Amino acid sequence: MRTLNPAVKFVTLLAVTLILAGKHDPILNFAVFLLSMAAILSAQVKPRTLGLLLLPILLAAAGMFFTGYRFHAGGSMPVRAEILNIGSSALWNGLTQASRVLAYAGAGYLFALTTDRVRMICSFQRQFHLPQVFAYGLLAAWGIFPQMTREYRRTRAAFRARGIRVFPISPALLKPLLVKSVRWSEALAIAMESKGFSGQAKRTDFAPIRVQPRDWLFLLLTVGCTAAAAVLL
Amino acid sequence: MSIHFQNLCFTYFEDRKDVLSGLNAVFDRETVTVLTGASGCGKSTLLYLAAGVYPHGAGVLRQGSVSVEGQDPGSLPPPERCRLVGMMFQNPELQFCMDTVKNELVFCLENICADPAEMEGRIDEALAFCGISHLTDRTLASLSGGERQKAMLACLTALDPQWLLLDEPFANIDDASARAIAARLKTLHKTRGTGILAVDHRLEIWLDVADEVRVMDGGALLPEVMAVSQLDPAKLEALGVIVPGRSYRPQLPPPQTGAPVLALEDLSVVHQGTPILNHVSAQFLRGRIYAIVGQSGCGKSTLFGALSGLYPYTGHAWLEGRELRRLRKKGLGKAGFVTQNPQDQFVGGTVRQEILASLRQDPKAMETSEAILRNIRLWRYRDISPYLLSQGQQRRLGVAALMAYDCHILVCDEPTYAQDRHNTLAVMDALCRQARERNAALVFSTHDRQLARDYADEIWELKEGTLHAYAESGG
Repeated sequence: MRTLNPAVKFVTLLAVTLILAGKHDPILNFAVFLLSMAAILSAQVKPRTLGLLLLPILLAAAGMFFTGYRFHAGGSMPVRAEILNIGSSALWNGLTQASRVLAYAGAGYLFALTTDRVRMICSFQRQFHLPQVFAYGLLAAWGIFPQMTREYRRTRAAFRARGIRVFPISPALLKPLLVKSVRWSEALAIAMESKGFSGQAKRTDFAPIRVQPRDWLFLLLTVGCTAAAAVLL
Repeated sequence: MSIHFQNLCFTYFEDRKDVLSGLNAVFDRETVTVLTGASGCGKSTLLYLAAGVYPHGAGVLRQGSVSVEGQDPGSLPPPERCRLVGMMFQNPELQFCMDTVKNELVFCLENICADPAEMEGRIDEALAFCGISHLTDRTLASLSGGERQKAMLACLTALDPQWLLLDEPFANIDDASARAIAARLKTLHKTRGTGILAVDHRLEIWLDVADEVRVMDGGALLPEVMAVSQLDPAKLEALGVIVPGRSYRPQLPPPQTGAPVLALEDLSVVHQGTPILNHVSAQFLRGRIYAIVGQSGCGKSTLFGALSGLYPYTGHAWLEGRELRRLRKKGLGKAGFVTQNPQDQFVGGTVRQEILASLRQDPKAMETSEAILRNIRLWRYRDISPYLLSQGQQRRLGVAALMAYDCHILVCDEPTYAQDRHNTLAVMDALCRQARERNAALVFSTHDRQLARDYADEIWELKEGTLHAYAESGG
């Protein structure tokens, strides 16, 4: 899963979610979710990491289940089941809503947890013709993200050390970050330029990320199977 | 074969006075030159002009010209410019765009359209030259300051520019890493003929590398050319340069040792799965000054971060008998934390609010804040943002804001980081004097062992995750 072309993986998973969007079937949704989880675990993602990431999703899914369960088409809503073509069972409707959340999150996590960010940007640049200023700008911004979180903690510690209570997203906390991020972006831009980077100039590619036959196979099999299941179920 | 500045007048803002005024200078490629002078004298600006970063990146070149090997660096596109001049910056954290050391080197070589088939070899060669082959696949975020500067040097080695311009490259790294980098720079100069022009106000590391020292003062280059073997320490000191081996000659009242204020007991910190501090135990007494020295990445900032609440720790840190991490609002003012970057501790929107934040319990806060600001010569800046002050002014404000509390201990992480001699003296004198007058303990970390010897009553070395008594100074 990790060695697949990121651009093809992205298109494949996007296509799957689009197919799911047009279908209201919890079995299909659960199948996509479970297959995504299996693929993630097979890519050596730690079960604990995955478990923690799934916590908010499970919460959202539970919320959606009860929403769907309570406000199903046969309930007290001002719509009728025939109009929206939704199954009349409250349980079925709840499961459909909950499983949708899980299926979308599964596909999203599958991409996010099994894709190297540098490979992804390089692949997007090559396959989607993403402008190089944008691509490397994104990578540089990614690079300073850990620093931003560190600075945020540092600023909070400074406030706490002076006995000042602030909310986590207080403007007083965010202002220093904003000032610093402007300076960082300037310093980074200068550093990138001094290493020869230019948005327009031609560059060579050390390890070009190409689309291999197996990438096509993954795309065709995944999208084909999902589409077939959507038609048959 | 030179960098040539001709009648240079440069300013950052049209309506402000020139940072460089009518500057003429020639720096020869055969000679390794260190450009020095007090903070704000225009030396870094000169370097950025030679690197072609200014004026298109910032500022206005009112008149004059810059030529590097006969070419105007500002007119060249970046891929060509980086073959002419390479630059190493002061802040090792903000020089990289990719995630790992290898990917950064690949990025550099791709920029100059190097042949992909040769890249692997050039990368290995550059890393081996800088002695960091073992860091190839490490993420840049996980490297220490010294390791990052070595990675930056590896990038420059791979790009192989004709000139290397260095903007205080050793400001934030330990002596051992600095000397290792300096030795490599010398080799580059000798074997490849790379021209080297460095800006620094600490000359210690450069003594084995540089041929001559030039001094800038008030936007102009002084005519004297000093060979490193014949430096004039008195003159350099007067111009704000930190001269190796010269004492700071602090005039401090003698220590009046009091009761223990901070006691560390088996304090350990694990950061991202790696143990950084292992069972640190130490006791700090009121009225005494303590310096903590140690290699880059040895955990000095982690120790200070743990005390200020940035990192969780196990074990105990007792502040006057109460566990530091449990202290609520009331007890917090007893310990003041001076961060490496003064901007990290600002909480107020204006200079005055910064002081007022510390005086919330004081019924005469307005009067007291005025007295404090006048004392640190920042009264006229009272209504502007602290971020608009110069670095030296920010440091003075930061220290004054903490001293407005009734601090029993001041914990300072590299308080003289990237400061010239004048500012170093001003900051250390202010800190130590205040600590002595209030009979507070002062704990500061530094890379400058001379500074530690001159100001501290006790020096501790952080080594292998633990504090060891390094030496007893005269105090």
